[in-house]
Amino acid sequence: MTVVAGAGVGAVVANLEISRAWLVDPASGREGPGGIVVTDGVVEAVTWLDDADADGIDDRGIVVAPGFVDLHVHFREPGNEDAETVASGLAAAAHGGFTTVCLMPNTTPALDDPAVLAGVRAAALASGSPVRALAWGAVTAGRAGASLAALGELADAGVVGFSDDGAGVPSADLVRSALTYAGALGLPIVEHAEDATQTAGAEANDGFVATVLGLRGWPAAAEESAVARDLAILPEVVRDVPAARLHLTHLSTAGSLDLVRRAKAAGLPVTCDVTPHHLAFSDEWLAGARRWAWEATGDPWGDGTGAIVTAPYASSLRVNPPLRAPSDAAACREALLDGTADAIATDHAPHTSVDKDVEFGSAANGISGIETALGVVLAMVDADLLTLAQAVAALTTGPARVLGARWGSAAAPGLVEGAPADVVVFDRSATWTVEAGALASRGKNTPLAGRELAGRILLTVAGGRLAYEAETD
Amino acid sequence: MTVVDGETQAAAFEVPIVDSPPEAQQVGWRHRHLLDVDALSWPDIELVMRTTDAMREVLRRPITKVPALRGRNVTILFYEASTRTRVSFEVAARNLSADVVNIAAATSSVTKGESLVDTVRTVEALGAQMLVMRHSVSGAPYLAAEIFSGSVLNGGDGWHAHPTQALLDLYTMQARFDDGSLAGRKVVILGDVLHSRVARSNIWTLTAAGADVWLCGPATLLRGFEAWAGRGAADGRRFHVTSSVDEALRDADVVMALRIQKERMAAGLLPSLREYAARYGLTRERLAAARPEALVMHPGPMNEGVEIAADVAAGAQSVIEEQVRNGVAVRMALLYLLAGTARS
Repeated sequence: MTVVAGAGVGAVVANLEISRAWLVDPASGREGPGGIVVTDGVVEAVTWLDDADADGIDDRGIVVAPGFVDLHVHFREPGNEDAETVASGLAAAAHGGFTTVCLMPNTTPALDDPAVLAGVRAAALASGSPVRALAWGAVTAGRAGASLAALGELADAGVVGFSDDGAGVPSADLVRSALTYAGALGLPIVEHAEDATQTAGAEANDGFVATVLGLRGWPAAAEESAVARDLAILPEVVRDVPAARLHLTHLSTAGSLDLVRRAKAAGLPVTCDVTPHHLAFSDEWLAGARRWAWEATGDPWGDGTGAIVTAPYASSLRVNPPLRAPSDAAACREALLDGTADAIATDHAPHTSVDKDVEFGSAANGISGIETALGVVLAMVDADLLTLAQAVAALTTGPARVLGARWGSAAAPGLVEGAPADVVVFDRSATWTVEAGALASRGKNTPLAGRELAGRILLTVAGGRLAYEAETD
Repeated sequence: MTVVDGETQAAAFEVPIVDSPPEAQQVGWRHRHLLDVDALSWPDIELVMRTTDAMREVLRRPITKVPALRGRNVTILFYEASTRTRVSFEVAARNLSADVVNIAAATSSVTKGESLVDTVRTVEALGAQMLVMRHSVSGAPYLAAEIFSGSVLNGGDGWHAHPTQALLDLYTMQARFDDGSLAGRKVVILGDVLHSRVARSNIWTLTAAGADVWLCGPATLLRGFEAWAGRGAADGRRFHVTSSVDEALRDADVVMALRIQKERMAAGLLPSLREYAARYGLTRERLAAARPEALVMHPGPMNEGVEIAADVAAGAQSVIEEQVRNGVAVRMALLYLLAGTARS
């Protein structure tokens, strides 16, 4: 691989040539050995090698894929810049291989007004990062859950949809209005499905682990009843406003995904995403286990094989929705495979040590996850739970489809000659050890610190410009 | 946790001579902290029990004080109101000649001011070598143990664990049975199991001891325990969960009533204290279903007339005061054993 005249982050990639790599192009559905040439920021050539020339190239080495798209990040600016800024968040995204990110509006003040969006955009521009920062607007004014935010003005200003993420839209009546009003604007409502009356003080998935650890239970039904409510309202709205769309983010339970599966089968305009941590971790980690969810036994204390490897109650694992049972993680993976889940979204939620290095029950919810997402997803690929192509699709074309028309004028994520280069290059054969201090994110709240992950990111190019390049050893 | 069945095995340890400093003893205690009982093996528990015997002997002397922990700083940091446990730890530490520092931190100071991490670093800088801690958040002592260079003793955390209570309960029961064993004995924990750290810790020690453990209370206050019972606790040993008080008390050897709190009504878990007392209160009539010599226990503080009738609490079968007395000896034993492994 050679990068020529890539001066630094933000600079146009004058000349990039990668030969003899494994290309994954979810737009065309094609993958195989080949190479890519980028000149002056534009993909000049994508070449596919036939078998005779492909000797020694497989999908376990250098991989070239379209840049990843994250539907769900928290960059904390304005209001909590100690936890993350737009600039540090974009750097973290590039370090994770993401070239498009969608910022959640639960900042302080909330992004419920075009002026806040203008500030975020200015910060993105000032950062010099070529990673594309899109934004969700708030559903309700001030995210207070009482009345609609300035949805029309926000739409005109360019938000990609609306979400009160961090909390659900509290009343069914308001969900109906929001879906209707946003639908007429051609934009989705992104719902954080949580019935707050069932989760007051809740700390951990309501189940065996929470019972033993004495943590307040967070029932699956708190999520599922909110999903069911929205899915009951949606067809009634669609009758009036056919363009209405619902996206359910960070679904975490088997029951929620079943509801979405049935709604999709009935033809409802609903999409959903799942997070890397709900796919690959489980509530057993709260007990001190660190096995991937597919290796979990359902009883971290009782399996007699020493599952417990670290102290319990690590506050880095406190997240909303909570880490669920291994069977729920399996349901999340199944949903990706059968198309019920449209995307993997990180719910990257950086926090300061002041908010996170406290008692489990007092800790802020969230995992700083955008830089470890690929490694976690590749662990599933390595375990043959997902193909590499499925993983890449869930990180690229899947989320782009959710964005629909707001994806923008660019072609769908793919390796397309003549288009601005938007690619990530990673080495599946190279492992790296997660070190909180080495993360580009200001949020050091990762439960993966010290863990070795596969798939070191070598290069991220966004819109023809350099976003991240690994230091060469 | 490993479990020793039936017959008492030959002791795998020496009972320490508790008049001497713990460092001099080779008693096979390897734990630096006491955060929960689930980390203790059965030999560990036996060592605590026999060391408690030695401490009971000290408490029978005219002067109930030994110099074992002289010059050692025991800091008692309670984020929750408590009288009995705090005083019990304090008396235990003083009986061992430790220097005792008492800090009563309001829970609000955690969220409004100094963090737990800062507080622990501060008390360590002020000389704390052993930290006895109570906190309303489950798991808080594990955070303290991560940063404190001495020993942390959990004096109760949230709903999670109350290891010294479970050990003093075990000691009290063993002392009352002729063969000193709980194997096969039916032990009933009656009341608000869901919110009880006493119940959770007792599940581990009692299943380890081979007892036939029954949890009983209104179904709303047993949420989640059926799943645990099916998987088992110590060494995978199963226990029973029922909301039928008659089934639970029938032929019981021990009945331990738990405190019921008014907040449970506000949370919609119980209709009223009156209804609770009528359906689950430990009365003489109910106790008659248990074995005639059955022990009555309560971790305190009691709501007499609610979860336990006054005449039962003060009756011949009650060992509630013994629990309190044994609590001092058990805490002396634990302070002593942990002092032997604490980093100097």
